[in-house]
Amino acid sequence: MTFALSLLDQLPHAIAVITEGGGVEYRNRAFDDAFGGDAAQWLKEAARAVAGERGWLHGFFTDGETIDVEIEGRIYRIDRIMRIVEERESPAVALSFEDVTREREAEQAKSDFTAQIVHDLRGPLSGIQGTLEFVLSQDAKLDTLYSDLLQEAQRESERMMNLINEILDFSKIKSGNFTVEAEPVRVAGVLKRAVRSLQSVAARDEVFLLSAHGRDVPQIFGSMEKLTQAIINLISNSLKFTPKKGVISVGAQIERTNDVAEAIVITVTDSGMGIRADEIATIFEKYKQAGTKSIRGGGGTGLGLYIVKQVVEAHGGEVTVASVDGVGTSMILRLPVRRAA
Amino acid sequence: MSASPLPSTNRDWSKLVGESLKQHGAWHTWAKLLEAQRMYRDDLSLRGYVEILRNTIVRDFLAHPKGLQAVPRLSAEFMSNFDRFNLNAQEGYLVSLIDGRLDVQKLLILSPFDPFNTIFSLARLQQERAITVPQ
Repeated sequence: MTFALSLLDQLPHAIAVITEGGGVEYRNRAFDDAFGGDAAQWLKEAARAVAGERGWLHGFFTDGETIDVEIEGRIYRIDRIMRIVEERESPAVALSFEDVTREREAEQAKSDFTAQIVHDLRGPLSGIQGTLEFVLSQDAKLDTLYSDLLQEAQRESERMMNLINEILDFSKIKSGNFTVEAEPVRVAGVLKRAVRSLQSVAARDEVFLLSAHGRDVPQIFGSMEKLTQAIINLISNSLKFTPKKGVISVGAQIERTNDVAEAIVITVTDSGMGIRADEIATIFEKYKQAGTKSIRGGGGTGLGLYIVKQVVEAHGGEVTVASVDGVGTSMILRLPVRRAA
Repeated sequence: MSASPLPSTNRDWSKLVGESLKQHGAWHTWAKLLEAQRMYRDDLSLRGYVEILRNTIVRDFLAHPKGLQAVPRLSAEFMSNFDRFNLNAQEGYLVSLIDGRLDVQKLLILSPFDPFNTIFSLARLQQERAITVPQ
């Protein structure tokens, strides 16, 4: 223990040892240099305040999570570097403190810039989409060639809009502005809206897109808009990998305990080519795309499933995937039925 | 796939389902998955595998050369011995709609159930030989 602490004292990073109760047992030289004479008091207050409010200390004692904490206008990234349990009544953890205020400000500036650019791109693109929709909705007999070209332009503009929306959502997630409202949401309505919005695309691709849920799906509390977008992401993804005459189904089942609805399990299932077993574990990570080549061409940002996961987790739910090579894939979302307080 | 203790990792289910599909077909695999679901209630991925099987069954049903224009008919066996068939309420209702003239498309419109489950029930009726879907 003494040897370990003397080692810590030589390190250039600010390090402190904190007990399970939040007490400060040790701080190294770099810590005192960084935080000055009031370091001990500062750390004690920080530990107590954050531990009380967010329970982060518990995290460090169990799984060693990393956390950003804002104290007195500065942002500190706190990492667990060691868990000390030997020859002690109660465990302690050695934590390193790094001032990441500048990095976070730079990230925020980058995120704000991305959000602004994406927002500016959406305006003119909406105009193009509206114009194409208007022209195609007219009864005027267009030459087949022009009609095909206009439809192609419409498809590509839809794709571009999806990419832009994904980037916008991603920048919100990165900047921490991705929040979920607590409004009552009719899940059946979400699924219906998502299916309806892609029904014409499925018909064009000669894929059966079928609802597989009744009307008696209970409501949950969350964001109608974000959940709809998540389901649209999943169906769009399925459309990329489902061949002609294939089936995509969108279902919902209710999990009950003693006749009380506890959760809703939403499934988006396709009869596509499936995901390879070695890719399943990383499919929800950002910038990851299945190695399987899309049937209809056109890649994406690799953010779609990552965003779906963020949306589901923001609703207190979980998401997983089932897939059989050459048979199909099912995305499974489990959302708790929360009641308003 | 056997009903005895089954592993609950994604990879194993995927392999087991794939092999069972090849060896025993979709209906058998679907039934086994329902058994597995009862054993592993907390395994969320199993719901997905059940849905993949149901999807496969529905796709196979819709692969009929006439697709949604195919016209299901009650089988001679069903007409003469319907007590033998253990239909659930949904299947029973659908059977009452089948008159040998309505095609699948029209049955979907008339059915009070969602389209996917309506087709799945029709596929099950066909599997049980309660109906035939002539080509």
